[in-house]
Amino acid sequence: MFTAPPTLPDDPADALAAVGALRRLADRVEDSAVERAVLHGWTWSEVAEALGVTRQAVHKKHARRLQAAGVLRGGR
Amino acid sequence: MAFERFTRDARAAVVGAREQARAQGHHDVEAEHLLLFLAGRAEFQALGLDRDRLADALATEEERSLAAVGVAAGELEPSIAPRAPRKLQFATSAKLSLQRAMKVAAARGDRRLTAGHVLLGVLAAERGRVPRALQLAQIDVEDLRARI
Repeated sequence: MFTAPPTLPDDPADALAAVGALRRLADRVEDSAVERAVLHGWTWSEVAEALGVTRQAVHKKHARRLQAAGVLRGGR
Repeated sequence: MAFERFTRDARAAVVGAREQARAQGHHDVEAEHLLLFLAGRAEFQALGLDRDRLADALATEEERSLAAVGVAAGELEPSIAPRAPRKLQFATSAKLSLQRAMKVAAARGDRRLTAGHVLLGVLAAERGRVPRALQLAQIDVEDLRARI
């Protein structure tokens, strides 16, 4: 994903905009990564530990959308 | 927020921004979603706002901001299941737009808050994704504000 070594842009506006863009990108990567882990049979506890967050946090953030998309059946 | 003072159109903008965020698979409602929704309305298109051009400008802004720190984000495969079921929350940028809209209405002595006030509230941002995208879309914000 890196095309060049990360360097801080000179313009503060560009540097701060990059922070926002990276946060949004991290959210999208998280959505896809959690989805993939669940499809591979990972439990919420495993996903949570890998992300370094609580099981409750990861469940609250992802369970409903994965259920709605049919990726996940039960509440596990 | 004094929501009862919002006109029907202003309420539609709040609801529309949430739908816009949801349709894009975004996690929160931001000022950019208010802008995109309002840019789709005929009354603001007549003033020169172009929804497609703004959407392109927002995408370009994201791409360039990531590129500025060496990240090319185009390759990420999209999630099968975007965040949708939950009621999306209004993030700081969107709340700020609405607060500014109320200030504009108050400063003009208007009792009701209209969609035009909401747009003025969105356009009042001097920093962040909205002004950066407006600049990329080559929109003359001062001229636009004067005509709302």
